[in-house]
Amino acid sequence: MKRFTSEIIIGLEIHTEIDTKTKLFCRCQKAKKEDLPNSKCCPTCLGHPGSKPVLNKKAVEFALKLCLALNCEISPELIFSRKSYFYPDMSKNYQISQYEIPLGKNGKLNLRNGKEIGIIRVHMEEDPASLIHPAGLKESQYVLVDYNRSGNPLVEIVTEPDLASPDEARDFMKQLITVLNYLEIFDINEGIIKADANVSIKESGYTRVEIKNITGFKEIERALVYEVKRQQDELKHGKNIYQETRAWDSEKGTTFSLRKKETEEDYGYIIDTDLTVVEITDKWANQIKKEMPELAQDKVKKFVEKHKIKKEDAEILAAEKELAEMFEKVAKEIDPILAAKWLRRELVRVLNYNKKELHEVEIDEKHMIDLLKLVENKKITDNVAIRQKRKT
Amino acid sequence: MDNIYDFIKKVKNNEIDIVEHTYKLIEECKEINKEYNYLNAISEDLALNSAREIEIQLKQKAKIKNKKLLGVAISVKDSICVKDVESTAGSKILQGYKPLFDAFVIQRVKEEGGIIIGKTSQDEFGFGGFSVNVGIGFKVPKNPFDNERSCGGSSGGAAGLSQKLSNHIALGESTGGSIVEPASFCGVFGLCPTYGRVSRYGLIDFANSLDKIGSIGKTIEDVALLMNVISGYDKNDSTSLKLKNENYESYLKKPVKGMKIGIIKEAFGTGVEREIEKNVYNGIEELEEEGAKTEEISLELPIKYGIATYYMIATSEASTNLAKFCGMRYGATEKLEGSFNEYFTKVRSNNFGDEAKRRIILGTFARMAGYRDAFYLKAMKVRALMINEYKKAFKKFDALVSPTTSILPPKFSEIEKLTPLQHYMIDVMTVSPNVAGLPHLNVPVGFEKNLPVGMLLMADHLQEGKLIQLGSAVEKGK
Repeated sequence: MKRFTSEIIIGLEIHTEIDTKTKLFCRCQKAKKEDLPNSKCCPTCLGHPGSKPVLNKKAVEFALKLCLALNCEISPELIFSRKSYFYPDMSKNYQISQYEIPLGKNGKLNLRNGKEIGIIRVHMEEDPASLIHPAGLKESQYVLVDYNRSGNPLVEIVTEPDLASPDEARDFMKQLITVLNYLEIFDINEGIIKADANVSIKESGYTRVEIKNITGFKEIERALVYEVKRQQDELKHGKNIYQETRAWDSEKGTTFSLRKKETEEDYGYIIDTDLTVVEITDKWANQIKKEMPELAQDKVKKFVEKHKIKKEDAEILAAEKELAEMFEKVAKEIDPILAAKWLRRELVRVLNYNKKELHEVEIDEKHMIDLLKLVENKKITDNVAIRQKRKT
Repeated sequence: MDNIYDFIKKVKNNEIDIVEHTYKLIEECKEINKEYNYLNAISEDLALNSAREIEIQLKQKAKIKNKKLLGVAISVKDSICVKDVESTAGSKILQGYKPLFDAFVIQRVKEEGGIIIGKTSQDEFGFGGFSVNVGIGFKVPKNPFDNERSCGGSSGGAAGLSQKLSNHIALGESTGGSIVEPASFCGVFGLCPTYGRVSRYGLIDFANSLDKIGSIGKTIEDVALLMNVISGYDKNDSTSLKLKNENYESYLKKPVKGMKIGIIKEAFGTGVEREIEKNVYNGIEELEEEGAKTEEISLELPIKYGIATYYMIATSEASTNLAKFCGMRYGATEKLEGSFNEYFTKVRSNNFGDEAKRRIILGTFARMAGYRDAFYLKAMKVRALMINEYKKAFKKFDALVSPTTSILPPKFSEIEKLTPLQHYMIDVMTVSPNVAGLPHLNVPVGFEKNLPVGMLLMADHLQEGKLIQLGSAVEKGK
């Protein structure tokens, strides 16, 4: 057991979809948002009697990449288990997940400020179906089930309770998404990233409260800020903090109690013998290592050492894969320091002003090179160039 | 009586009107069913359509003469999915359920010109050894030699129908002995293959690491022929073995001279009826007369721990497999009321039989935190030890032999008096090869008090051929 010292202790359990073409255990195409409900499913992801799962190897490779990027120890064998519980979004009333031996363990990911956050485990599992409550979560008289999502591949990432503030939690999520983007295993438009957070504060003696189902990385900070304040306020008013599970209501911006937790839930895990043990050979792992792209933290190092730009600039450029790649191309022709200044300050500012992402606008490296050549040769002044940039 | 090859030849040569033959056969099934309850569903339309299809193809001289099962009636254990034919695994909770797809073995049977005649009765989900644990509202199949006695289980309907109906082979399924035990009680051959040799795709699960589809037939030829059709790799079942197909028929009538057979010491003596022993030894003598060499071998682990290991693993897996039945997507429903939890509970309470409930409770308990290590995980370890012990024996022997059952088919009135534990002990001979995934065969070796006695032969993984070779030698000796 860790001895806690900080005012706030946060650990995250993050579920992220991975961007394969087909589902984890059947050949169904993964549905897109515009697909009709229940149009992308088959006997396997509907849990029909007699259907059997067959593992999607591509999903394993994606998960392996993530484990490697998070500096995890890789298990030599991939073993799936059945996590049993009854719920209407479960096609089989058990979820195929991993238990004793996760794919990756003992990893780490650094925050922007260099603080190291431990990763306890990274494992693979299937997504349940989605439940649609036509009149809202609490008020609906009935629920619709859409199996399009049922069986989609998910990766669960469990952190050590190393995060000391909602701000750090947000930064962790940002760093994680950067990794996912660099690895090209997450579809930023279609993919869903969800988190459950364990939050406790010093004043309560670190009584652990779990917040379930926070969707989207921007929501995490909001939910945590609310929850920390709620716990502080309860104590201030002489109330107790209970070990419990709460849900985040993003519309109201509050959390509400789902159930008090006396004991851990018992999912009665057994090995799923419908699936065979998949050996992760050194050869396979090495092949994947070779295919690994340079990651943001490698890029920062390279930009500082090779291009001699400031670490702070390098971090901003590297935080977004497309920006980093553009910088590398521009820096071949333009003084890197000038290029860095322009990309990280002016380009980012224009993008932010217009609320656009780089891939959404038509600026490419050629435009930047042409423009910056003019600046270099003093053909135009900085201010003219800035105006020029705004027009494109 | 014609053997199955003569029958197929006649179909190919147009010496039999296959449509009329099939029609009569279906009528015969209905007649048999009135007394014996071997079929939960008779797929009359599917059977007659298949027969008509064969007739048309024969007229058009289409290339169907190489089809291995042309015109042969195939019955299917109810737990194996047949597209558009009610497939319930003998449970009320699946009443009315018509699968959207054919099991791999059904696809193969259809491709080879087999005619599917219906779904055979069984213990609910395979939970039993006497076919008395049928689902709510289902009828108990009866022994073909004495209708006051059990035909064994869980593939009871399959074995009984194999005894009663000619030119027919049955698809059975075994988790802990459900092919050989009913085959023994009904006096027919039953072959349960190596785990993974036959795809489980389309089999309604009992226990995934133990379930095997196999064949039951009146003759060893029947059994070998159907095994040839259904074995082989299937990409839809992750546990299907990627191996070259074997021609099991090539082992028929192959001399057994010089083969080594181990007689399992612990399987004779205490607890086994003397008349059964006598008949099994007759069977062993027949093999010796054909030149096989026999020797006694002690196998303590399988007899001592087989039952406990089997029931731990089987119920743990079964309790998760049965979770999906909750009245939401298919099968039985109840009035929609209350929360999902209340609704699921009502559906499961009203539609599972007592034994299904017992096994769900046992299995759920065995895998709960705090008990997992002592029960489920321990059983997995014992299973590994049992496999080692068998493997050691098979370094020396081509096959091992024991009685298939320790008793003659019991009367229903006797079964009623058994406690659940006594009921489970019936599987003592058959569970261990099942736990170890070994192929095993029931060979009818004689009659006692007009009731059949069976001998159990088991071989190393993937050595089904040797079993057919030995089974064929005993049959020849008759």
